[in-house]
Amino acid sequence: MVKVKVGVFLSDCEKQLSEILDFEALASYVKKVPDVVFVAKGSEFWRGKGLQEIVDAVKSKKINRVVVAESLPKLSEIRIVQAVEEAGLNPYLVEVIDLKDHCAWPHRDTPSEATEKAKAMLLAAIERAKLLEPLEKLEFSALKSVLVIGGGIAGMQAAEDLADLGFEVHLVEKEPFLGGLAARAGRFFPTDDCAICIQSPASDVKTITYTSRKCVYRSGFSEIPNLKILTNARVVGIEGVPGNYRVTIEKKPRYVDEEKCVACDLCTTVCPVEVPDEYNAKLKTRKAIYVNMPSVYPPTYVIDENACKFQDCAKCVEVCPTKAVELDQKSEKITLDVGGVIVATGFKEYDPSVIKEYHYGDYPNVITNLELARMIDGFGPTNGVVVKPSDKKPAKKIVMVLCTGSRDRRWNPWCSSICCMISLKHAMLIKEADPEADITICYIDIRTTGREHEYYYEKAREMGIKFVKGRPTEIVEDPEDHILIVDVEDAVSRRFLELEADLVVLAASMVPTEDTKELAQLLGIEVDQDGFFKEYNAKLRPTETKIRGVYLCGGATFPKDAPTSSLHAHSAAVKAAKFLSTGKIEKYQKTAFVNEDYCGDCEFCPVTCPFGAITLEPKGEDHFVAKVSDLKCEGCGICVGTCPLNAIELRHSRPNQMAAQMNALLSVNGTSKPLVLAICCSECGHTAVDSSGMAMMQYPANVRVMKIPCTGILQVHQFLEAFKAGAQGVMVVGCKTDGCHYEVGSPKTQKKVHLTKTLLKEYGIEPERLEMFNLVYIEGDKFAEAAQKMTERLEKMGTLQLMGSS
Amino acid sequence: MTYEKEEKRPVIEFSKEISSRLGGETITFCYQCGTCASSCPVAKTTEKFNPREVIKQSLLGERQEILTGEAIWLCCSCYNCQERCPQKVEIADVIYALRNTAIKEGNIPNIYTEFASGLMNEGRIVPISKFLEKKRPEVGLPPLKPAGIDALRKILSATGFDKLWPKKEAS
Repeated sequence: MVKVKVGVFLSDCEKQLSEILDFEALASYVKKVPDVVFVAKGSEFWRGKGLQEIVDAVKSKKINRVVVAESLPKLSEIRIVQAVEEAGLNPYLVEVIDLKDHCAWPHRDTPSEATEKAKAMLLAAIERAKLLEPLEKLEFSALKSVLVIGGGIAGMQAAEDLADLGFEVHLVEKEPFLGGLAARAGRFFPTDDCAICIQSPASDVKTITYTSRKCVYRSGFSEIPNLKILTNARVVGIEGVPGNYRVTIEKKPRYVDEEKCVACDLCTTVCPVEVPDEYNAKLKTRKAIYVNMPSVYPPTYVIDENACKFQDCAKCVEVCPTKAVELDQKSEKITLDVGGVIVATGFKEYDPSVIKEYHYGDYPNVITNLELARMIDGFGPTNGVVVKPSDKKPAKKIVMVLCTGSRDRRWNPWCSSICCMISLKHAMLIKEADPEADITICYIDIRTTGREHEYYYEKAREMGIKFVKGRPTEIVEDPEDHILIVDVEDAVSRRFLELEADLVVLAASMVPTEDTKELAQLLGIEVDQDGFFKEYNAKLRPTETKIRGVYLCGGATFPKDAPTSSLHAHSAAVKAAKFLSTGKIEKYQKTAFVNEDYCGDCEFCPVTCPFGAITLEPKGEDHFVAKVSDLKCEGCGICVGTCPLNAIELRHSRPNQMAAQMNALLSVNGTSKPLVLAICCSECGHTAVDSSGMAMMQYPANVRVMKIPCTGILQVHQFLEAFKAGAQGVMVVGCKTDGCHYEVGSPKTQKKVHLTKTLLKEYGIEPERLEMFNLVYIEGDKFAEAAQKMTERLEKMGTLQLMGSS
Repeated sequence: MTYEKEEKRPVIEFSKEISSRLGGETITFCYQCGTCASSCPVAKTTEKFNPREVIKQSLLGERQEILTGEAIWLCCSCYNCQERCPQKVEIADVIYALRNTAIKEGNIPNIYTEFASGLMNEGRIVPISKFLEKKRPEVGLPPLKPAGIDALRKILSATGFDKLWPKKEAS
């Protein structure tokens, strides 16, 4: 084994710190620490000459552990680590601490105490550095191909982006035609354009010089060479790891050959079967062989398995001029190898028949927004005329009811966010076509939050659409003529209204699609409390899931309008491209590992890991051991804190490294006050300490800060060890419980701290000596205040008496 | 239009007071959609009562107006509103919580004092007239049984009901 040689670099930040800290004393203290072979003082070490000095020392003095005391720790750490790596030393053998923000500035009023604390901080860094081990650089292969699930606006947009970027893309749609909900909705707000219109793919622009947008079926979208479209198909299996997934797809038979069909429509003229047309809200019938609309992709007819008489009839087979109808087609399983997956399965309209007082399903003239959209669509069942389904005559008096099933704790508590605008759009399109139409919108709140949306609402008022502020309690029908009465209170005029209507349109809420849960399980990702796919973090990691390589976009995460779905899709495409673009995934092995001899296959860690990186693998007979995937592990260490048998360790934060750091921090006091150990997570906790120091907020120097990856790594015994090592009090500083960067770390630690308090009582230690704080970066003032108060609290309590100590 | 000084009203305190009472827990869920009002058979008959407005006034902290006014006593407890409220506000129960608060402060409409004394003195809320007693056999109903007044009094005193009312009524 190579002998450990530590080099220590002390920066006084252009003499800013030497006014407070005694650098001569620090340097001579550090020199006496065993294994320290080189000590340098300077004004800065993170750039220019200073950085070169570190590189030279690594090369000429053969130091193999680098400890740097610098300000701006985040920025300087990156530069120093890079330089050291280039000089040939493993980057994980470097320890950078911040003597300015963590010592000199917050303790400027007590310089001698600050100097003593600086000694402790340096000693902790050196002791930890001595125990650091070089980490291996890992490389995993990644396929430059992506599976996109869902052929609506979002899925098509993401697929097109990735295909344009040169990735091999497979787009899978469960329906026989592309387009999703947008195709059924017809138009989108606030421009009243076609919803199905998409941006032209790059290949179009190059070859045909079309730069305009156009609808899916006319665009070159389907002709992008590296994009494969599978309709009538579902994902039924997925295995593998990020970068290398094997996906199984079940493709249902279409019974019509896509290569041969010329969409001449002869087949529908001979087909004898008539069934209600679900796509068109059952307002008309269709044949067993059909297309949804004249403009669809693929432009190939499809046979409805549940309606067709097959060989008993076969008239379509006879009449087809290209022999495209193949009644003996079977469903087939297709296997694809992809590097990443984008989920764009959208949302669906809620069935409001559960809201009994609105009688959807009982009364023919109570319909939903999506059904109305089909009527408004010129391709729709009524050729664009809004009719009463009871007698197919035009509807003149229309009442729209917003928030049907949305914002309703009984059904769907969330605001579906787009129904206000959809209803405004419908009202205006009807009014434009028929100025005589009498339209009333009953609302709780009108939510027009997007760009130009408020003008849309303004225009609706100008056009004479009436608004009633109240949610109707009931809809009643005259059984003779099917005229409806809507019973509502207008809160603004404080009047009870009984609105007469030919047609009542319910703005039914938007809910997750039925296969969301199943697909989530298949992919190993989560759904949120409302049942939509869960984005890992809507601000920091939008469209990402807990598994790298699996991304979400469009309405699958929450109801979205077409422009927002598009935007979301671009984001998911960029995320997937970033992940797979080099064809390999490189990372250092800063991951957890399992000591198989200790593992008791209790299943705690696989369940807890926020990244799904741990699995139980069989070992021998009837015995399983946990196994950490280096690829998926993100190095938070929450598994370490969860393991009841100490069978897991996290590289770079191993127990001996943490213990050495803790003992060193508590070895020098230098103040008359009781020592406090503040264990901070490297995310919000540690940066809150940074910010208090940067703002020169003062707290006593007896508070010692120890950095760990996430508070989730802490085990109960570590709190006890801190007391044993001389801490009079322990502060645990982590992220907010609902803002933990690793999701579960901070809330778990909060429980652990609570539990430890009970345990402390048993040991005869006051539970108030241990406290958890949940802070964010900008709450530096709260850290300073907490540190001050903790010190005062401990002073009042007196010295800690440990059992067994004299 | 009259303007009232907002700062005089302890908004949070009153809604907290009600939501900490049995039945009043859900009051802050209300977003004033008016489903309760249009469901209410009383509100459609008289302007003196509107469940939506009772809740709104309470949330605005209009404690005196609510507790001394007559509105809260007009609810007929049909529970239509509660059945249909999309925010699961237990409106009828909130109104009971308001009534209980009012009673604690001595704001009791006469009719309720009469009910209470009837219950404690005769064991019945509705007094039985000679006319009624004569009418029962004519429509085939059995004669009324005695109300079991002693047992009832024990229950009423064990639950503290008897202490809610002015002494003279309970004698």
